[in-house]
Amino acid sequence: MALEVLLVEDSKTQAAQIKETLESVGLRVRVAYDGPDGIREAIENPPALVVLDVKLPSMDGFQVCRRLKRNPSTQDVPVIMLTEKAGPQATMSGLRAGADDYIPKDIFASEHLINTLQELGILE
Amino acid sequence: MTDIRGPYHMRPPIMTVKVEDSMDIMIVRDTTRRASSLLGFAPAHRAQLSSAAATLAELVLKTGEVHTIHLNGVLNGTRTGLQISSETPWLAGVSANNVLVALRSKLGDLVDEIMLEGKDPPIILMVMWLSEAQSRSLVDEE
Repeated sequence: MALEVLLVEDSKTQAAQIKETLESVGLRVRVAYDGPDGIREAIENPPALVVLDVKLPSMDGFQVCRRLKRNPSTQDVPVIMLTEKAGPQATMSGLRAGADDYIPKDIFASEHLINTLQELGILE
Repeated sequence: MTDIRGPYHMRPPIMTVKVEDSMDIMIVRDTTRRASSLLGFAPAHRAQLSSAAATLAELVLKTGEVHTIHLNGVLNGTRTGLQISSETPWLAGVSANNVLVALRSKLGDLVDEIMLEGKDPPIILMVMWLSEAQSRSLVDEE
């Protein structure tokens, strides 16, 4: 059975694009459109991976990542932050929050995302 | 093109990216991820290195001149690392201490070492090292 990814992304357009990328490599994708929903979904039914946007309504991706890494049922779930905030400070904030990778949303994002999935053992 | 040396022995991969416009910043980021992946850096460290290289590329782009970002493996004894460097002729005559304070405050969390070498032109060098175990495993693989 295909591994399941939880995508937390408030933009429906971007969520559809990222979902398509993940499904193209055989993963199943659930989408949450804000931080609190993402946390609830992840805790109730822990996925194999969380792909997390930084800019989210009501709670940003750094907070979501910290909550997931503090919760015993999600602390071992890898988190990849996929974001428009690509500067040094934002990168370090993401990694310090516990993210396993921090990937800027640019033209190479899909390729880097898939490489990281392979590196983390999510894809063979 | 100046031969970028720095204090460490160079090893593959050796890559360069010419920075002419903002599109090239993405290419710098991508190339740095590839170079760090070849050396065996973990995804989080690749993110740090690519952010450091992209920030350096943004800095050189702001000078309005075409520059080259050099990415190469380095060896220091048994340890292997990735070095990111660029000539910075616009820094000639500027206090090295002031430059290093500014660079370390902006990029110090992303890499292990930041250096300013030479005078004609000065060269900014940044290095992140693999752990001893990762360096040994890289040598074993090769």
